[in-house]
Amino acid sequence: MSFDVNIILRYYPELLGGAWVAVWITAVSLVCSSAVGAVVCIGRLQKHGAASRLATAYIDLFRATPEIVLIIWVFYCLPLLFDVRIGRYGCAIIALSAYGGAYMAEIFRAGVQAVPRGQIEAANALGIPIFHIVRRVIVPPAIGWMMPALVNFLTELLKATSLLALIGVAELIFVASTLGSKTFAYMEFYTAIAVIYFMIIFPLSVYARRAEQRRLRRTGN
Amino acid sequence: MTETAQDSANGANGAKEGDPIVLCRDVVKRFGDFTALDAVSTEVRVGEVVCIVGPSGGGKSTFLRMINGLEGIDGGEIVVDGIHLPGGKKDIQNVRREVGMVFQSFNLFMHMSVRQNLILAPMTARGLGRKEADDRAERLLERVGIGDQIDKYPSQLSGGQQQRVAIARALAMEPRVMLFDEPTSALDPEMIKEVLDVMRELAESGMTMLVVTHEMGFAREVAGRVLFMADGQILVDAPPERFFSEAEDERQANFLSKIL
Repeated sequence: MSFDVNIILRYYPELLGGAWVAVWITAVSLVCSSAVGAVVCIGRLQKHGAASRLATAYIDLFRATPEIVLIIWVFYCLPLLFDVRIGRYGCAIIALSAYGGAYMAEIFRAGVQAVPRGQIEAANALGIPIFHIVRRVIVPPAIGWMMPALVNFLTELLKATSLLALIGVAELIFVASTLGSKTFAYMEFYTAIAVIYFMIIFPLSVYARRAEQRRLRRTGN
Repeated sequence: MTETAQDSANGANGAKEGDPIVLCRDVVKRFGDFTALDAVSTEVRVGEVVCIVGPSGGGKSTFLRMINGLEGIDGGEIVVDGIHLPGGKKDIQNVRREVGMVFQSFNLFMHMSVRQNLILAPMTARGLGRKEADDRAERLLERVGIGDQIDKYPSQLSGGQQQRVAIARALAMEPRVMLFDEPTSALDPEMIKEVLDVMRELAESGMTMLVVTHEMGFAREVAGRVLFMADGQILVDAPPERFFSEAEDERQANFLSKIL
């Protein structure tokens, strides 16, 4: 059996279209995950009380649910239970953001807790207002510490978009299987999307590694 | 004491040379069942240098940290330049602007350059402009002898240099009182002197200082008074000449015999 590169070239607009769908859903879900994660993280950082318990329950629930179950549930069950109509793209973003929110909350929490207590104490002792302590003393190093986990999560999120084929979102898997059934060139198209995933994710990993090294050189921790 | 009580409302009343600037009355601190400070009373006058010595666990650091509101007060009161503690958030904020603190572990902001470390508080807590804050940072770094390190990051400096940055950072708020919590305990021996020299110069310039320290040479030479704290109480309060020559308390004698 031979590998027909020409067929990939012939259908490259469809493949790029699938890549674009995967990328924008990832981007929108990342933003929504961050928002959900920030709220849950604030709840989680409380030492006690309802907010803390609620946040912990949220994280436990969504980390214990496979993404694929969540996607199917949001697409098929949510509209029936609450009598709402949400498009497949909306469902995709809701499911990925709900799942991502749980992970982002834990990433945020780890970052914030990595800031040495002594630095926050020093900022307090200097009389710096709390808003500026958060913005200037806690957040910047926290982001530095979070970067590796954040990039890791971003790649997980991108890979999770492949599950959306199941609910008919035209991302890469969906496009490849559609083209495959049309032309029978399954091998070519599945190979092509493997390369496309790699080409998107690999530069991210390299960038994250470089950023981490730069930060280490500068701050030493 | 009634005058000070009346001045309480809104902070800094501008105590002058020789006036009491830190007043502690029956200050109590508890951690659960443990009483860390047991009715401590003392006062510090403007321009005084007071060294606090004693065995660890005796309440020295806790006492220091209560003066700028890093630890809450469970009984009694502390008055700093007319501001009463315990008080509201605003009172604590006002006290912190008047009181600088230097920590054993420096606690510099590691992700900021030395310059950024020095200008953050003046710009956000005192409302200084960038230019003014910059000038002040440069002047203070010259003063502590590391003017050439202003654009470096803390991790690129030695421990002694980092602690001098921390002192300059506290001074940038133009505090009326400086607290030092074992400022040389985390330093290699060869770097202790450069930090003590800066503190000595600061004392000579008339800064009011409370220093928790194990550097008996510094206490003997620079302090106006030495307090001996143990078991959450001030057991001895004496000028250094007397403190180091004739022990008036058994535990003090014991402590001195171990440390000198």
